[in-house]
Order: sequence, then C-alpha cells, then structure tokens
Amino acid sequence: MASVFQLRRRFFCTSSSKWRVKQVTTSNFEESLQELKTHISSSDYVAVSMAKTGSPSPPSWLRPLPFDTAQTAYSKARRAAHRFQLLHFAVCPFSVSSSDKLLAHPYNFVLFPRDELKMGMPSYSFSCQTSLLASMARRGFDFNACVYNGISYLSRAQESAAKVRLGTALSSLPVVKSSSSPTVADTVFVERIRSRIKHWRKTFESSGTSTGRDEELINSLRNIVLGSEQFRSRPCMTIDVCSERQVQLILEMLLDHSDDLLPLLIPTKSGSIHAIRIVLVNSKEEKESLQRELQNFEEEESKKIRGFREVIDSISASQKPVICYNCLNDCTLIHSKFIAPLPPEVDEFVSTLRSVFPNVLDINYLMRKHGTMRKMTNIPSAISYLNSNFFAPVDLEIPDQATVKEGKIHGLNALRLGYLFMKLCSILKISPNVTDSGNKHLAPELEDFTNVFHPRSPPIQDSSNAADVGVWTNNARKISCEHLVFLWGFNLGMTAGMLKSLLRSSHNIFSREFDVKLVDKSCAIVVFWQPGVSEQFLDIMNSEEISGDLKELVSEGLRVTSYETYDRICRLGLWEMDLRESLERALESSYCDKEGNCERKSSEIHWYNDNVINLDDL
Amino acid sequence: MKPYKLPSPSLSRVLARALSPATPTTPTQCDSAFPLKTVTTANFEPSLAELRRHVRSSDFVAIDLEMSGITSAPWRESFEFDRSDVRYLKVRDSATKFAIVQFGVCPFRWDSSNHSFVAYPHSFYVFPRQEHAGLGPCDEFLWQTTSMDFLAKYQFDFNACIHEGISYLSREQEREALRSLNSAHDSEWSDIYKLKDVRDMPLLSAADILFTARMKNKFRGWRDGLLHEQNLEDQIQGITGDSKFQEIFFEMHPALSLNGFTSHQLKLIQSVIRKQFKDLSYISVNSEASGLQHLVVYTDSKDELNLLLKKVKEENLGVEKMKIQGAVGLRHVIDLLSSEQKLIVGHNCFLDIAHVYSKFIGPLPGTPEEFVTSVNKCFPHIVDTKILLNTNFMLQEKMKRSRKSLAAAFTSFCPQIAAGSRTSYLGSLSHVKVDVEVDDVRSSSWNPGGKHAAGYDAFMTGCIFAQLCSDLGIDYKLHDSSKQLALDEKLQKYVNRLYLSWMHGDIIDLSTGNKVADSSPSHSLRKRYPTILFENIVIIWGFPSTLKAIEVRECISKVFGPTSIVSVFHLDATAVFVQFSKTELVSDFLLLKNTLERSDGALLVLHPLSKLLEGGNTCAVNYGTYKEICGSPLSECLFADQAKAVGIKWKTKLPEKVVLGAEEHENSSVRGNVNIAMEDVERTKQNTIDELRNAPSRRQVSPYGDEDSCVAEANL
Repeated sequence: MASVFQLRRRFFCTSSSKWRVKQVTTSNFEESLQELKTHISSSDYVAVSMAKTGSPSPPSWLRPLPFDTAQTAYSKARRAAHRFQLLHFAVCPFSVSSSDKLLAHPYNFVLFPRDELKMGMPSYSFSCQTSLLASMARRGFDFNACVYNGISYLSRAQESAAKVRLGTALSSLPVVKSSSSPTVADTVFVERIRSRIKHWRKTFESSGTSTGRDEELINSLRNIVLGSEQFRSRPCMTIDVCSERQVQLILEMLLDHSDDLLPLLIPTKSGSIHAIRIVLVNSKEEKESLQRELQNFEEEESKKIRGFREVIDSISASQKPVICYNCLNDCTLIHSKFIAPLPPEVDEFVSTLRSVFPNVLDINYLMRKHGTMRKMTNIPSAISYLNSNFFAPVDLEIPDQATVKEGKIHGLNALRLGYLFMKLCSILKISPNVTDSGNKHLAPELEDFTNVFHPRSPPIQDSSNAADVGVWTNNARKISCEHLVFLWGFNLGMTAGMLKSLLRSSHNIFSREFDVKLVDKSCAIVVFWQPGVSEQFLDIMNSEEISGDLKELVSEGLRVTSYETYDRICRLGLWEMDLRESLERALESSYCDKEGNCERKSSEIHWYNDNVINLDDL
Repeated sequence: MKPYKLPSPSLSRVLARALSPATPTTPTQCDSAFPLKTVTTANFEPSLAELRRHVRSSDFVAIDLEMSGITSAPWRESFEFDRSDVRYLKVRDSATKFAIVQFGVCPFRWDSSNHSFVAYPHSFYVFPRQEHAGLGPCDEFLWQTTSMDFLAKYQFDFNACIHEGISYLSREQEREALRSLNSAHDSEWSDIYKLKDVRDMPLLSAADILFTARMKNKFRGWRDGLLHEQNLEDQIQGITGDSKFQEIFFEMHPALSLNGFTSHQLKLIQSVIRKQFKDLSYISVNSEASGLQHLVVYTDSKDELNLLLKKVKEENLGVEKMKIQGAVGLRHVIDLLSSEQKLIVGHNCFLDIAHVYSKFIGPLPGTPEEFVTSVNKCFPHIVDTKILLNTNFMLQEKMKRSRKSLAAAFTSFCPQIAAGSRTSYLGSLSHVKVDVEVDDVRSSSWNPGGKHAAGYDAFMTGCIFAQLCSDLGIDYKLHDSSKQLALDEKLQKYVNRLYLSWMHGDIIDLSTGNKVADSSPSHSLRKRYPTILFENIVIIWGFPSTLKAIEVRECISKVFGPTSIVSVFHLDATAVFVQFSKTELVSDFLLLKNTLERSDGALLVLHPLSKLLEGGNTCAVNYGTYKEICGSPLSECLFADQAKAVGIKWKTKLPEKVVLGAEEHENSSVRGNVNIAMEDVERTKQNTIDELRNAPSRRQVSPYGDEDSCVAEANL
C-alpha cells in the first residue's frame, strides 16, 4: 500500500507526462485481460480512446462539415470507419470515490488486424494516411511492435461467419425431430447405418470383456487392420454423409442410443457437413464430461478468434457508461470493427450501438456546453486550458504505475479523458455519480450528453453558466437545409468574398441577404436567409429566361444543386476527391432513390455565424 | 468445376521465395551479413551521388520492389478468366492503390581485370510522405494485411520506413506543382498593382481593435522617426524596446522584421499597414537563409516599391521552386536509370514496372498498349529473367522442375553465390563470379540468405541474369564495355518482353505494344485449361449464398442442355463466371433471365432457373461489364458489393436485370431471339441506361425534384 501512496500525485498543473499506461501486446494480453475485467467491474466509468490510420482533414470535403445533418455526418463517419484501421485502443476504467478523487487503471492495447484464420479477416486491406502515420511516428509510435505483436480480433459478425466456415458453429446442433415422413430411401439408409453401428459396437463389447495382454495386442492389431479410429482416446467411427437430410436422419436415429454414443459433425471448409463422427463412451456421465470438454475447447478456440474484442465485450457486458471524446467517430469505429458492418441509416446504427453500450458520453460535447471551451481541438490542450483557467483539483491515483516500464506513454488519452471528465464535472458542479438506494447511476445532468451522435447538435438551452449562453445562441442561426444551394464551376482560386461579389452583381435575386462559403477548393455553399429564395434561384438557373451576367457564368460552367443532392451522395457513397465531382456524378445518375425520399428527417442544421466556421475553417 | 484459384504472380513469387529452402529465414550467425547499402532520408544525398557513379559505369541494373500490398480485394487476384486487358486493369488497380515501401537497385559492372562482376546492392526505404503541404504523392494508400504480415516475417523495419522513408514526386506531379506555382505567382503579381482590392478583415473583438490601434501607433512612430531625423533616438527606443520588432535594412530600405506574432495578428498588421500607410508595405519574404520572414518596409515612392516587390516575388518563387526540386526525392534514382538508358533487369516485373510508372512518371494509362509504349519511352531496355527462363528451351532444361521463383532460380543457377562464395568455391568455369561492393569495400564472401530486402532480391535477379547471359553464350571477356549489353543479338529474343498474363502466357512487346504468344515449352506443357472464349462468358452475382458452382451449372444445364456450359468458376463467394459453349447462349440466357423476372409468379416458381434467381437480387452481365467493374477505382471486398458500388444497380432501377429495354423482346418468345448479336445487346443496353438515368428524376416527389432533374439534364 505504501507504494500506492508514494505514487499518488496531485495534478494542479499539467504533469501528464509523468503518467504511465500499461502497454498490452500479444505477449501479455491474457493476463492483462483478466486484470482489466476486474477493474471494469469495480469501476464507475470506462474511458476509451483510439487512433485510426486516417481521417479526412481540410481541405477535403469528406471531413465533418458544419452543415452536415446527422445522416450525412454519419455517412462520412461510416466511410472513414470502413476505410481506416485501428492501430491502438486505450481503455481506462476509473471510479470516483468522492467528488474529486479518481482511481484509474489505464491500459493501451496495441492492435493489428492480422489474418489469424487465413480467411481475409478482420480486414483484407486498409487505407492509411501518410501524414497521420508520419505524425504518429513523430510521437514515437512503434509500428514494428504493432505489426509484429499487435493483438488481432474479429467482430461479432465476423466471428459467426468464421465459425460457420470453421464448422465449430455446427457441432452443437440441436436435434429436432423432422416432420416429414421418411421415404423408402431414408429407411434403407437409416437401417444400413444402424446395422453398421451395431456391428461396430459389438467389436468393443467383446473386446471389453477380456483384458489379457494377447487380447490387447490383437485388438490393437485389429484396430490397425480395420482402420478404426480414436477420438480423445475413445473409440469412434466416421460415417460419410452426402446431404443435410442424411445428417438429420443419423442424428435422429442416434437419439435411441443417447446414453453411450456421442455424434460429432465434421464440416468441410465451405461449412457443409461431409461426415459424422460417432464416439463411443462408457456412461452417460462420461458423455457429459466429454461434451463439456469439447465445449471448453471450443470456448478457448473462439477466445483466440475474438482476440481484443474480449475487451469490448467485457465493457459491454458491464453496462458501465463509456466516455469518449468524439462519440460519432469512436462509436462508428467500434461498431464496424467489433460489432458488425455499419448499417446505412444512422437510426439503425444508434439502436444497435445502444444495445452494446447503453450510455456513451461525449466529452467534446460536454466541453462545448461549457461555452468558452469551444476552440479546443484536442484533449491535452483542453486539459491545459482547464488547468490554467479554473481551480478544480482532481486527485488522481493510478495504482498500477509501478508495474509499468518507463517511457511507455502511448494511449494516454483514455486516462486524460477520465481526468478531463472529472475536472469538467467539478467545474460544472455536476456530481459524476448519483447513488440511489445503493445503486450508482448517471447523474441526470449528464444524461443530456449521452448518446449524442450528431457532432453539431443543437446547443443546450439551459446552460448552468449564464454568461456563456450568449455565445451559443447568438452565433448559431438555425436554418433549414432547403435554404442551402451548392455551387461549383467557378474559377479555381476564387475566394468566398470574390464569389459573393460576383454573384451579387450577376442577378437581382442576390439583392437579398445571402452568404457564400467555400466547402473545398472547387465547390461553395450559398445560404439564402429568406425562405423560398433558394427555390427561386434554382428555378432561375434552370429556366430558359436566364439572362445577363448569370447566363454568362452558367455558360462558363457554373452549376448549382440543392442540399438533397449532397444528402444523396453521402447516402450512396459517391465519395470523390472533389465535392463537385461527386455532385455531378449524383446528378448524372439521379435514379430515384426510393429509400432516400420516403422519410426526410433532421433536415435542419445550424449555421454558425462566428469565427468557428469561418472561411478559415471551411 | 472445382474452384481453382492461383495467387497473383507477385504474391506467389514472394511466397515461393519465402518457402524456398535455399534461403533460410533465420540468418545464420551474422558475423558477416550480406553487404547491402540501406538508404534512408538520413543518407540519401551522398548515396544518390555514389549510385550515380555506379549506374553510369554499369553494364546493367537489377531492380526489385517491396509493396504495401498486391490486391485490394480478393476478387482482384488474377484468374484464368482474365483477358489480358482485364489483367492489366487489375495490375493498374494494384499499382495505383498500394505504396512502394522498399526499392532495391543493384548496378552490375563487369570488372575485366578480375574476370568478375561487381554488384552494388542498394535498398531504399520509401514512404510517400508529403514534405510540404500539398506537395507530394497522394496522401492515402492501401496496406494489405497479409503483405504487412509477410514483411514482418522477414524483419522488415516499419519504423525505419515510416520515420525515414524517402518520399518522391512523379514527373507529372512536379509539372503540376510548377504550373500551379507559376500561375499563383502570376496572379499574386497582378495583385500587387491593385492592393486595395484585397478583402478587409472585420475587427471582431475588442482585443483586435485595441491591438490594431496599438500597432498603428507603433508604425506611425517608427515611420515618423525615419522622416524626422531629430526624433530618431526616441522613436527607435520606442519600437526597438519591443523584442517583437527588429530594425533592419532590407534591400537598402529601412524595415522592421516582425517576430512572434500569431497569424491572426499578422493579418491585422497587414490590414493596418495597407489602410493607414502609403509609404509602408507589408512583405513576406521566403529566403533560403532565414526561412519565412515578415517585414514592414519603408519606400520613398511607388516605383521603388514596385521594384522591390518584384524582386521579392522572384526570390519567393525561387525558394518555392527549390522546395519542389527537393521533393523529387527518390525519383532522382528513376530519372538516373532512365537518362542513362541502361538495361533494366527484373524478375516477373510487370507489376514492378507499373508501380515505377505510376509512382514516378504519372498516372497509368487505360490500356496495356498505351502503357507499354510510354514505358518504352522512359526505359528503352527492360529484360525479365522470367521470360529468359521460360522461353529458352536450354535454360528450361537446366531448371529441372517447374519452379521459377526468384530464390529457386538463384540457387539453381548461381549455387556458389547463393551459398556465399566462402563455402568451398568449386570454381566451375561456367559459373559467373560476382563480387559485392558497398561503401568502396569489396567482398567476395558473405553469409547466405541475408534479409529479404529489396536490395538483396535485386542482387539475386542480377546474378541470375548474368549467369543466364553467360549460358546463352555471351562472353563478357570479349564484350566491349562501350557496347550496350541490351543490343547483343543473343539477347534480342528476350529484351523488352514482359508477361502480361502469366497464366495465359500472354507476353507483350514493350517496343511495339504487340502481344506475343508464349511459345515456350513450359507454356505448352501448362495448357491444361480449356481455351477461354471471353465472349461466351456471363458473370452472375447476387444469387443465394448457399448456391455452389455445381448447382449453378445444373440449374443452367437443365434449361440449355447438358453441353451448354463449358465451365463454372467461383470468382468469390458472391459471384461466378459461367462459360457457355456457344456465344448465342450468352444472349439467350440473359434474355431468358430478363423474361422470367418480368413475368410475375407462376412461371418463375416452376422454372429450373428459379433456384438461381431466388431472392430477386441475381444480376448477370457479359464480359464487357466485368471489365468495366474491374476498371473502377473502387475496391469493395466482395464482388457483389463492388458491382453495386460501381453503379450497376439495375436491380433497384429496373425490373429487368439484364438491360434489354426494347419492348419487342418481351413479347417474342425467348427462343425467337437466339440470333441477337452481342453488339446489339451492348448497344441497347447503353441506350436504356441513358434513358433510365434521366427518367426517374422527373418522377421525384421531393420539393427539389423538378429542379434536380433539370439540373441533371443540364449537366448530362
């Protein structure tokens, strides 16, 4: 205990460089997993943080943009999750004992999607962003350790697919009496097999009675001559089958001999069954023990298959609230790598994710509620900002520090998230835990911040910090997507200001209030502040009567389209490098997308009129 | 037909190399490992200078690449059903998506005094980083998990690659960078004359307003100080007391150098200077010596200012050009090989050459013919040792078994080199002697194996080539060093020929672009496949996942007769190739499928094809569409998903999956349309697609539907 107290530190200022995180690779995975499981069960929260091999960054339009709806933002996150790979995953279960005391157990799992089963899983190939890899390298990430000793995994969906192909899923097939009446061929087949089994059993009954040495020798010789097999030192015989029907018949027939015969199905590579192995056991007890033995073996095998996913499964099983920095990013990654491929619709994603993690808390969102924090883009800078501007001492204790070798500081972000969360709770005067008749649960104030999967969700109206309300409500103007028009085909190198003045002089529809912002170098978005103007504009652009400078611009190649086309390219995944290419592709093949039209939800976005989403940002 | 899948040649090459007993995976006692020059960013410049010297004096240069992967999806592996143009599209996909992680170059020089070759093996670590924003190779590339694992097995150093890998710019990228630099220069140049045109920054916060006012005062004070000598002392005091301002002379003009301001503050200063001071100007100077400098310069007159600005612009341009020059990086090696016109030797190197082209020259052209002609312009002489081994009967005999992997060939042709010359060199006269020189240290003995680094593989390739040439009767002793080895008549049958498709024995002649049939003895032995008629092929996907190739065959045979199908082959779990015995059967099948799917219910249920069409998502296309799907830049893991992603969504768009829109087909009996030629099918298909692309948007009910469709038409 003494060492624990020695290691205790108070962090009034940034000294996170002294924190140590346990690094987990294949060599220490098993033991660390057991440790982590106990830590998770005794913790209040689990903070997670991960690094992927790429993320779209400016000037690419594929990054999350301020005018994205929940659906388009999700589609972009889905693309990134599908494309990129995780190289490490930091997990930090922590518990909060009093208002400022934090007990944390940080781990960093080094991952590599090694194809352990030679089935092209978990990932046949993945994309990398050179700039991101280079910056990871600068921070000292060890890629050799990652490729050589990274832990592999399979998602839940991949595991079941692998089990079908390995055949392990079928071995415990329940026998159901088939309803169809047996044909003559069936009866003949069953009788033939029955007599084969009977004959085979007889040889063991007769040999079982005498135990002379000669007999043993003769038996073993007979085994060699007859080619009888053994399964886990028990006699067995293999019956070849050629259809599912025959499998069914044999299993049904064996129900009559259920005391001492255990059927095992032998699958082929493609998942169908080509033979049944019948094992002879002495008693019902022995049969049960053999079954258990096989089950355990299977469990061990599938543990190997699951790999790192065990960690995700145990967090999920604990039902503890999960804390991450960017909910949408992290959860789409977790879903696609460890649960199943991401569904096309955001609602479907949210509902499956909830069944895995009931509460996911978005720290970034929590910080944005605390208005002055909006410019913070990463966790360390947020911490140093809070440290220098607020007095909110957090007593952090990391009991396992001594066991961690010096210099291993990767995967600090999960620990930092826990620390940041405590600080924010203390500044915002939220109690992290509410104990209700002995059960801990999430404070109601925090529930507003759970399961937020839209990065630009509407700001919370009732801010506890009265001074910050203004910052939020004044700068965001709620506008409908219908007011937005995408515009491209202007000269490259034009700034938004140049474009705006060009448009203003081109047609009198631009005498009304409007704004122009560049999305990427080749495409701009125009917002009309008055309702109905955007429709008018689109009408004008498509009408015969187009005239004047605007006509000149259109002849030069200027094109426009509504927000709906943007929505469609995200849904259909028409991800070209330039937005204008995608938009044109969508228009070229504007086949009616029935799913896309039937329901249109959340078509309102927030147009921030402040520096945050100014030209520099877009 | 049993699904039969061959790994792609390059993969099999590395695998065979890996499994070869001749090159143990664990190096034996590394007291003298194979001498090899490893080049990273740290020693690139001197190594390049040295390599230049060696390449110039060399007789030929062997190359080898290690890539981040081979195939981006399982269905992109090479199949026997790949026509040579499809094969090329697959190679193009691989070369475009994956990165080179190591580049092996090994010049070989005949040393007439020693009667031996001297080899200079180099391994360059490569990483496509962007050294400067927007300047460099594409920011994203693909890794194939199994390739990473394979590289790891041979102790590839990923850290060295990512930390210190050398970057590059292709010729095309360099041209593009220079072009945009020049146009930016021109436009900026024009901006100078209309300074007022530049947009003003709105002063948003009180802090900005205060800061702007303070800056105005400071600059005014400094300017006034310059104009009124008597106050000089005080004013200088005022501004030089601040460490953010440093008074200097810039091109004989008094100037203040601004340090330690944020970019936002610099913008504010810029706007203050522009608005408030006629004789002061804000200049950003990018000089080689001191990097980017922000200056406020005093000039007496407009002319003087313009002169100064012109000078600065030119200087900045020069620095930018230097930056682009610096980013060329590894391409210097390629430029060297190209300009020296040396004979380039590779082993099964079609993919390698495609990589070299796409990384260092420009985007890969659309057809193999265009590709080889452009390659030939850059590299006039390329020889593939695999061609030499396979097309020469004598060498074929020597290589007893059919193993033509690099390591296997190395041990059988150069046993004494493979073993490391130290182990009792039984100096048989027919064996070519090779020494290795690294950093001016020459060695003739080393431990065998070494790492499976690109440099070592290039060395092996070169050794094999030297030996093969000698076996062909080329006498190096008589060989005139001034004469190109590539022009030796004994080699003419082999130079500039590459395997386009190893499986079909399709060889392409780089100098003419013609395809040459593989007449090699080995190929005639390998003719175990039935000849494939691509126009007889239908690709089917989207059928129930439990359906196996044999069932597909049964299903179709029931309708078109037992001899109608030549073979059925699984492309992946979701798709099959079906080769019919007659070309007409292709259109028959597509038509029947179409009719069945249009008719509702009863007919379909009873029809033998119903098993194949179950689920209603089954799509079928001819070979041309398969090529189109292969040519797409996308790579979904499963073929069915790929087809969907490419936009072949006839399922959702059309009730008929086979796009035969013409109404008369529907009414006439299926048998009646037997004679429809494939061209007709193609043409109708095209029209229908276009028709359909336009049609639905008109029907859209959304508020934007009308505008949308109009825009769509405007853009079509």
